[in-house]
Amino acid sequence: MSACWVVLRKELLDAFRDRRMVIVALVVMPLAVPLILAGMSALGMKRQVEKLEGTLELPVIGIEHAPNLVAWLGANDVDVVPGPPDPDDAVRRQEREVILRIDASYGQDWRSGRPARLELIFDSSRPLQSGATIARTRALLDGYARQVGALRLITRGIHPSVSQPLQVGQRDVATPGSRFDLAQQMLPYLLLLLAFIGGMQLAIDATAGERERQSLEPLLATPASRGAIISGKILATAAFTLLSVLVTLVMYRIAFALVPVGRIDTSLAVPADALARLLLVILPIVLLGATLLTALAAFARSHREAQGYLPLLIFLPMLPTLYLMVSPVKTQPWMLAVPFLGQNQLILRILRRESIDALEWAISLGSGLALAALVWALAARLYHREQLAAST
Amino acid sequence: MIEVQRLRKTFRARGSSIVAVDDVSFRAVDGEITGLLGPNGAGKTTTLRMLYTLMQPDGGRVLVDGLDPSTHAGDVRRRLGVLPDARGLYKRLTARENIAYFGRLHGLEPALVSQRIGRLVGALGMEDFIDRRSEGFSQGQRTKTAIARALVHDPRNVLLDEPSNGLDVMTTRALRQFLRGLRAEGRCVLFSSHIMQEVAALCDRIVVIAQGRVVAQGTPDELRVQTGQANLEDAFVKAIGSEEGLFA
Repeated sequence: MSACWVVLRKELLDAFRDRRMVIVALVVMPLAVPLILAGMSALGMKRQVEKLEGTLELPVIGIEHAPNLVAWLGANDVDVVPGPPDPDDAVRRQEREVILRIDASYGQDWRSGRPARLELIFDSSRPLQSGATIARTRALLDGYARQVGALRLITRGIHPSVSQPLQVGQRDVATPGSRFDLAQQMLPYLLLLLAFIGGMQLAIDATAGERERQSLEPLLATPASRGAIISGKILATAAFTLLSVLVTLVMYRIAFALVPVGRIDTSLAVPADALARLLLVILPIVLLGATLLTALAAFARSHREAQGYLPLLIFLPMLPTLYLMVSPVKTQPWMLAVPFLGQNQLILRILRRESIDALEWAISLGSGLALAALVWALAARLYHREQLAAST
Repeated sequence: MIEVQRLRKTFRARGSSIVAVDDVSFRAVDGEITGLLGPNGAGKTTTLRMLYTLMQPDGGRVLVDGLDPSTHAGDVRRRLGVLPDARGLYKRLTARENIAYFGRLHGLEPALVSQRIGRLVGALGMEDFIDRRSEGFSQGQRTKTAIARALVHDPRNVLLDEPSNGLDVMTTRALRQFLRGLRAEGRCVLFSSHIMQEVAALCDRIVVIAQGRVVAQGTPDELRVQTGQANLEDAFVKAIGSEEGLFA
């Protein structure tokens, strides 16, 4: 045990003297994550506000067929402009989000009381970019239709409510904390990624690097057991990663405290007491990552070979995020036992200020730590192989 | 005191097996310097690796102060000071921190470690670089640090694999002086070399290895008598059967 502690201290001392490693883990990552998310959030808010409250520029083909409609749109903060000759192409090439075409028979149909034909041209495969504009245009046209319909009923002596059998009220139970946007979906992934491979440099330097610079053989000639040596290296990697995650979370909090409220979605901010819970959720992933990286790097003959595994490791934490994007379901207990998927769910719930009960904590931490212990045992076994030191 | 009895080690490489050490037996006693001499690839490094418990022998056995490494690996490592062929340092640590790390891994208290380092710094002449980070050390500075690191726990038995590799004349002389000092303190010193002059200048007892076998052993005088050659160099050539690898 004491040898493990000696190794742990030495690896951390060694790591903290590596300026590049420290800058990446404790400065670059902690700045990059909040900046990316705050930037995404601010940009998203800005676009949304512009789209919902700014003047809507709407290209219309056949303006001359419906002067009343055009005038009404103009009165409702819409800037009607003449539409392009090829509307389908303009939408497809993203020059326009939505185009309204007024049929040539509009005036005739209108006067004879038949439904007058309008056509909206849009691309539904880009909901993020143009969804709000399409919805706003539709709502405007619906409003116009309802208003004219009501007037027509009144002129015939019928109360407009006859044509409204339903009145649907809306009540949104979302709390400020549970409002959701894309940036918030990214936070768990970035946190888990950082927790999982944040200690990569240290792990590689402490094992493959040790071999490469030929200091492993004398190390193994000391009475310190190989199990203690590799445990010290794993714990050093985990401690360094945990520090990096902590600094990132603190920076994230500071970033959202500095930005003026309203400019960005404040629901992204992490409450102080949530920091501790987030770290606890992430802890098994930190240990799993540290163990897996150390095991892989101990196996590899050089820095370069060890780094070859990186793309694979980046992909792992991404899987549950992708899964949740495709099928956003309610948390099932079994999900909490799946590494990354469970942590992803719990992080989201902490951010949404939902409570997590004791059983859920036990499942998540228990399975995560058990898996880390398994990989740990495997790593220790690998480290006992004779070829390890004697590959020269 | 180190005893090696009928040691054997084979490696598997791409289906075929290579005999690295075939049949090696010798004894290195306290208060003497024993030299393991042989051409490159003779099995010296593999023999030493089995001595310092990095590898398990396929046959035969090793005794260090009467202890078998296969059953008392920890005790054996504590009684051995090892300078392997691989002598990399941690470049972001100072020479002192490099040495102290190994002292702590040997279970020594910090106070004892710093006392030992003080003594080794004097004996090896490391005063001017002991507190410098080891990045950019010369080969001599690296070797001195590695030797100090190997001896910080004050072992009775000292194993050195090609200790003078890459050292200049002055450093080599200093190293020889240091090894004689270890002998004078009554330690058992065993070192390997492929350089005849090196072994001849230093050793009380010489074990000549070729192709994984001991082909001759004894004091320099005994070797001359055994081979019937008046000149030590000729005696080596006769023992090994060729001139391969004898001269650096």
